[in-house]
Amino acid sequence: MSKAQQILDALGGDDNIIDLEPCITRLRVEVTDPAKVNDSALTAAGAIAVVRSGIAIQVIVGPEADTLASDIEDLR
Amino acid sequence: MAALTVLAPVTGTVVDVSEVDDPVFAAGLVGPGLAIEPDGVRGTEAVAPIAGKIVKLHPHAFVVQHDDGRAVLVHLGIDTVKLGGEGFTTHVSEGDVVQRGTVLVTWDPAAVRDGGKSAVCPVVALEASADVVDALAQVGTAVEHGEDLLTWA
Repeated sequence: MSKAQQILDALGGDDNIIDLEPCITRLRVEVTDPAKVNDSALTAAGAIAVVRSGIAIQVIVGPEADTLASDIEDLR
Repeated sequence: MAALTVLAPVTGTVVDVSEVDDPVFAAGLVGPGLAIEPDGVRGTEAVAPIAGKIVKLHPHAFVVQHDDGRAVLVHLGIDTVKLGGEGFTTHVSEGDVVQRGTVLVTWDPAAVRDGGKSAVCPVVALEASADVVDALAQVGTAVEHGEDLLTWA
């Protein structure tokens, strides 16, 4: 499975994502249900860290954030 | 590799990156570095901290990559992605090769602060280990853009 697919799944899938945007080193994601986001699956997929604030989830992925975000968009 | 000197991208006061109000930069999750609290009047020009290629360019942030692969991230303010580029003018494009000290972005840190956001600028040695990056400017001191900030062994 691609890294983009693993991250999409770990975020709870397309249905759970309200908005996803890259910012240099991180994916900024707004989700419907934060409980469906699996932090350990995100780090297993290569995320450096996950920072949560309510429905706003930041997935820290390093400088490949832009590329990953467009790969994830392609899967949605 | 030869030591790479990273220049201050903006004029202002050197701040410990752990004091930056962002958990990612504060913890050095994407690499070690320092931050600069830009001068509201004289901190409006953001220059290339190293010579190299502009591999990422957003209005509020950029990454310059040296020939040897090492890359430095400069982020202009915290959560400034939410400004959607408003108040930021870019002077180069992704893929351009620049000399160190080239003006890449002009912006208004005072306006960012007036908008309720932090204007502090993390300068990050991307994906470097902390033990190869040392400060060349002391926390709490003033730096001009283009002055030495970090050395990356």
